[in-house]
Amino acid sequence: MTTTEKQRTHGMNMGALNRDAGSSELKLSRETSCISVKDMSLYYGESQALKNISMEIPKNRVTAFIGPSGCGKSTLLRSFNRMNDLIDGVTIKGEVNIDNQNIYDRKVDVADLRRRVGMVFQKPNPFPKSIYENVAYGLRIQGINNRRILDESVEWALRSAAIWDETKDRLHESALGMSGGQQQRLVIARTIAVKPEILLLDEPASALDPISTLKIEELIHDLKDRFSIVIVTHNMQQAARVSDFTAFMYLGEMVEYDNTDTLFTNPAKKQTEDYITGRYG
Amino acid sequence: MKIDQEAHTSHISQKFNEELEEIRSQLLEMGGLVEKQVQDAVDSLVDGDTRLASEVRKTDKTVNQLQLEIDEVCTHILARRQPAASDLRLVLAVIRATSDLERIGDEASKIAKATLRLAEEGTSPRGYIEARHLGNHVRQMVKDALNAFARFDTPQALAVLREDDKVDLEYRSATRALITFMMEDPRSISQVMNIMWVLRSLERVGDHASNLAEYVIYLVEGEDVRYTKPDKIEQVLQHDDEEDQKGSST
Amino acid sequence: MKISMKNWVKSGSPWIWLNAGAVTISVVMVLGLIGLIAVRGLAHFWPADLHQALVTDRSGQQQMILGEQVQVTQITADQLRNAGYQVDEDIQLLERQLFKIGNRDLYGFDFRWALTRELENIEYPRHATVLERREWGNYYGYLIGIKEDGRLIAEQPLGENILWDEAQKRIQRAVGIYWEIYNLERREIGQVNYQLEQLRLAERRHELRGTDTPENLAELAEERAYWNDQYAEMEARLAELYGQFSRDALVMMSADGQRSVIGLHHVVRGFQPNDMNVFQKMGHYFAKLWEFVSEDPREANTEGGIFPAIFGTVMMVLIMSVIVTPFGVMAAIYLREYAKQGLLTRTIRIAVNNLAGVPSIVYGVFGLGFFVYFVGGNLDQLFFPEALPSPTFGTPGLMWASLTLALLTLPVVIVATEEGLSRIPRSVREGSLALGATKAETLWRVVLPMASPAMMTGVILAVARAAGEVAPLMLVGVVKLAPNLPVDGNFPFLHLDRQFMHLGFHIYDVGFQSPNVEAARPLVYATALMLVLVIAVLNLTAIAIRNRLREKYRALDM
Repeated sequence: MTTTEKQRTHGMNMGALNRDAGSSELKLSRETSCISVKDMSLYYGESQALKNISMEIPKNRVTAFIGPSGCGKSTLLRSFNRMNDLIDGVTIKGEVNIDNQNIYDRKVDVADLRRRVGMVFQKPNPFPKSIYENVAYGLRIQGINNRRILDESVEWALRSAAIWDETKDRLHESALGMSGGQQQRLVIARTIAVKPEILLLDEPASALDPISTLKIEELIHDLKDRFSIVIVTHNMQQAARVSDFTAFMYLGEMVEYDNTDTLFTNPAKKQTEDYITGRYG
Repeated sequence: MKIDQEAHTSHISQKFNEELEEIRSQLLEMGGLVEKQVQDAVDSLVDGDTRLASEVRKTDKTVNQLQLEIDEVCTHILARRQPAASDLRLVLAVIRATSDLERIGDEASKIAKATLRLAEEGTSPRGYIEARHLGNHVRQMVKDALNAFARFDTPQALAVLREDDKVDLEYRSATRALITFMMEDPRSISQVMNIMWVLRSLERVGDHASNLAEYVIYLVEGEDVRYTKPDKIEQVLQHDDEEDQKGSST
Repeated sequence: MKISMKNWVKSGSPWIWLNAGAVTISVVMVLGLIGLIAVRGLAHFWPADLHQALVTDRSGQQQMILGEQVQVTQITADQLRNAGYQVDEDIQLLERQLFKIGNRDLYGFDFRWALTRELENIEYPRHATVLERREWGNYYGYLIGIKEDGRLIAEQPLGENILWDEAQKRIQRAVGIYWEIYNLERREIGQVNYQLEQLRLAERRHELRGTDTPENLAELAEERAYWNDQYAEMEARLAELYGQFSRDALVMMSADGQRSVIGLHHVVRGFQPNDMNVFQKMGHYFAKLWEFVSEDPREANTEGGIFPAIFGTVMMVLIMSVIVTPFGVMAAIYLREYAKQGLLTRTIRIAVNNLAGVPSIVYGVFGLGFFVYFVGGNLDQLFFPEALPSPTFGTPGLMWASLTLALLTLPVVIVATEEGLSRIPRSVREGSLALGATKAETLWRVVLPMASPAMMTGVILAVARAAGEVAPLMLVGVVKLAPNLPVDGNFPFLHLDRQFMHLGFHIYDVGFQSPNVEAARPLVYATALMLVLVIAVLNLTAIAIRNRLREKYRALDM
């Protein structure tokens, strides 16, 4: 993407994202949104965890979900690659559209969906294998065993995750010998090695020290040209630093979704205001 | 989102509440000092009271000191608390307001200096009435702006902004009158020029007061209304209000 | 400074002492156990000095005895008086000694008690000779002549030793021929017999299927003729070897002057312990030890080695592991990963855990009733009808023993594997799923490798339990003496239908079923030591594998 193009798209987004009269929801055209959630509700058994969520998540931007613990932000994130399927008793109403297809449609191949929508978790979870095999894992799952292709993809992924220099001399050592921050970047490399369209980050830096956290944030910044990123974080400053758009959730509801700058200087809702300024809710 | 006076007292961190309350009250204290300075400066000019004028100049030091203190507290808050939303706006507004108040203090000091100069050079034959009038007007503006700050009162702030236009008008007519007088009596140019400077300072005080009012609107409404006409501001605010009502009703 | 009792209790010291004490007691007990069986068992192979003494028993009869001193004990005078001995009033305790005097063919018994006061002229004659024989146990006496083909070719007076080297040479020769015969009988004739048996079964098969056409039968007959020729050839060679084997004999004189002629085909080895230095004794010791672990038993298991028992034990444990590991792991995977957790799975888990508490003999009964008679019997009907009525799998054997023990140890493997699976962090599974892997792919590529140390733990526990189990085995395959090892050179090399020997059962058999319990007692200890060693080696191997896996798949600190 050239600079002018970038500016143009950015401008277009900003235009499209201006607050509509009478509503704090962001209106995105189909071309600029990568995930489109329509009136989605999610239930754990009887209790409703997500309440009628509707939102458009923009392409090639970083969107952050913030909110207190248990507000459903992780649940919402996990519903974008159907990770909630793993939990018993989860029922979902409404639609989550990716590429104009409802991912909860019967026809959708979940494994394929997860290949397109990668996810990185709170704690670094490298497999007990070598660094190389960790990154190659997703490709091997797809049946790619050609050494040359694997070598190239592994290097590409590690370079993209800004961890190539630290790992190139020890690709075949165990990934468990790395520091927490390195492990998390390795996990990101592993995720982007399968070239997903969307990257879901579930509190990716909450288990890391401040410097590692900054490296992850820098990485997110580098990656947003190539991927659409959705990040859940407890750390409001982090959301403010890395994201272009921020959604504040509370008790399963999408309270406010807006441009990060606006949300952090002049939120429209009192709940948002109270949360981001640290007040009694 | 619109906020009110109580907004800065409900943080989970009690210490943060105290810190915000401290900068607010210090700002108001500083505002009180500056307001008194303006009043005294105008009084000293009108009465030719050199003692009062020296006092005004002395007070300026205290005001400067207060600005430094408030700025330091604000810096600490920014560094330690990374305030967001209304808190961020409050801190920013206070930092900006101190700078404007300090400038008002400086203008008052200039007026006091003019009093002293006039005492040496002889009184001006004309202009005291205009000065008193304009002085009272801008003092009232400063007072209202500070009140608006203290009460998070947007309408009052808007009123201050509207008042500024009147001040400008008054200033222009006063200067025109004085210029005419100087043309008639060139001997008095030196003394009348002093009054001209005083009027100029007072006009500046009015500008600073309207800046304060703009900060109040920014702080309370979250809208940056600098370089915007009062009518347009009113429109925007009305629109926001409607939205808020809608938001709270859903 | 005096510390009050209360503070001492508060400080926790008593607990530390208590815990340390418990550990110490355990360690002492384990070391004591191993020490006891090691000392009792291993000392047996040391060539003890031969005592010669004149014994006067209470009836005044005198006898010269020659033998190893086995034991020295105290006995109360009262006991002796009751037995009819003359004992002075002021004597409370008397010492008595047990001698192994051998020569069972002459005296009818191997051991003899004698009171120390009855012994006279105790000496250690340099040339007293021990001959280890294939039957009748040891012979203790003196070499006085050598016979060849029944003719006396050399003689020496009592007290001289000029013929010893010659005798040793001839013993070596006879032992060499023995091994030749052994190989011929075991390997080659065994092979021929096996082929002939196969031909007989083939013929029977033809009969049963109605394909006993003249051509087929002629073919079989031709083959049979070939093998019969082979057999005849070997028979001839065997006869010749046997002739050679019994050529020589030694003329011996026992301590009390009885002459015997001992054919060298009965002799395993001869030695003169009183004439050996420490190094020779050590050489002898290790040769005996090697014989113990590498050779077949002799004389109703009281002499010779225990190799078939070691082999059988290891074999059975290995086969058991091979069966129980995949079975248990699969069951655990289903229970933990796929089955819907609910009342049914909980019930199954409880049932599995309870299985571990069922007495092992019950498993033996089940194995006999179900595996041997039902499964085995039906297998015979289906696949080996030609061998009937003699059963192939319808009789206790290695496979049924291994299966029974696999069943016995299954709960351990299931529980350990389930435990391991439940400890795999959820995040790792999710990581794999999030990369587009299916549940099965995640299981194979990530979860199972990570759970492998836990599976190995299960296998270790299973091995430890199985190797020490005896009771059920007696019902499903273990015998006191198996003619053949379960592995040999004939197709299919591993004969799961054969019966086998087992160290645990060997201990029981030697210790309690032996005709000569006294003589066999050291062997019981030695065999027990061997059993402990075998289990330890099996366990250590498994533990080593597990630790390697653990290192490789070091669980994430989550």
